Amino acid sequence: MSSRRSRSRQSSGSRITDDQIIDLVSKLQQLIPELRGRRSDRVSASKVLQETCNYIRNLHREVDGLSDRLSQLLASADTDSDQAAIIRSLLME
Amino acid sequence: MASFIPNLELAPDTCPEFKRRKRRITDEKLAYSHYHQRHQRIKRWRTQREQHIYSSKFIQALRRSRLTSTSSSASEEVHETADRVLASLAKGTTRWGRAILSARKMVRHKKAKVAANTRLRKPAVNREKRKTPSVQRKLKVLGRLVPGCRKLSFSNLLEETSDYIAALEMQVRAMTAITEFIAGGGRQPPADRLASNVNS
Repeated sequence: MSSRRSRSRQSSGSRITDDQIIDLVSKLQQLIPELRGRRSDRVSASKVLQETCNYIRNLHREVDGLSDRLSQLLASADTDSDQAAIIRSLLME
Repeated sequence: MASFIPNLELAPDTCPEFKRRKRRITDEKLAYSHYHQRHQRIKRWRTQREQHIYSSKFIQALRRSRLTSTSSSASEEVHETADRVLASLAKGTTRWGRAILSARKMVRHKKAKVAANTRLRKPAVNREKRKTPSVQRKLKVLGRLVPGCRKLSFSNLLEETSDYIAALEMQVRAMTAITEFIAGGGRQPPADRLASNVNS
């Protein structure tokens, strides 16, 4: 570990040390519900990145589904239902 | 600014060590304030207030882009509107936000833009030799998932990712609340259920 650190200090132009990498990855880990609260020395950087990608993809999918649902609801605004009245008042003031 | 620099001996300016120490302290100070700013921004995404601002701008935008009732592109339009409003809330301070906003303008000129990039692209400098191939691969995937972040350095990418995730979570909360409100015939959804980790 110490040899890696000293190597990084000598390499010119590279400002990112191993410690910074570890620190950043553990910060990212705290944002992922899957991994939050797990000890950061037990979760590899690779796993954190993997779960981050999965989580973002899930969030994208959720927004997709919500957009779908919303667009359906908006399309029903021409009917007589209560929902339509709400939609009209929300969107057509 | 001098008041923040801890007890430096007043060596003459020509002394290289003095300059080095001073520069490092300034760098650290900048790095800290940068970190602090980013942290504040991320916290803002989690507030009720931000969610309300987003919701009302989103609804206004939906009003303006009054959708036709054709189904397949309507969903895409809603999604694009949701993303555009989200990006505008980031106020140009994030790369992902700028990428979303400029992507809409550049849709027509996309071909020309791609060609230009290929010409100007220098061979990528591999500064990150210490990372294993599996980490490298996943970084690449991550860079493709966050808008506008394909070629960022490791630390910048993680910065953008943190902000992007917080923003996406808010987007989900807001759109869920709006959808439930409409679908529920106007009954207020329980306010606390969705705002589990937010503070006003």
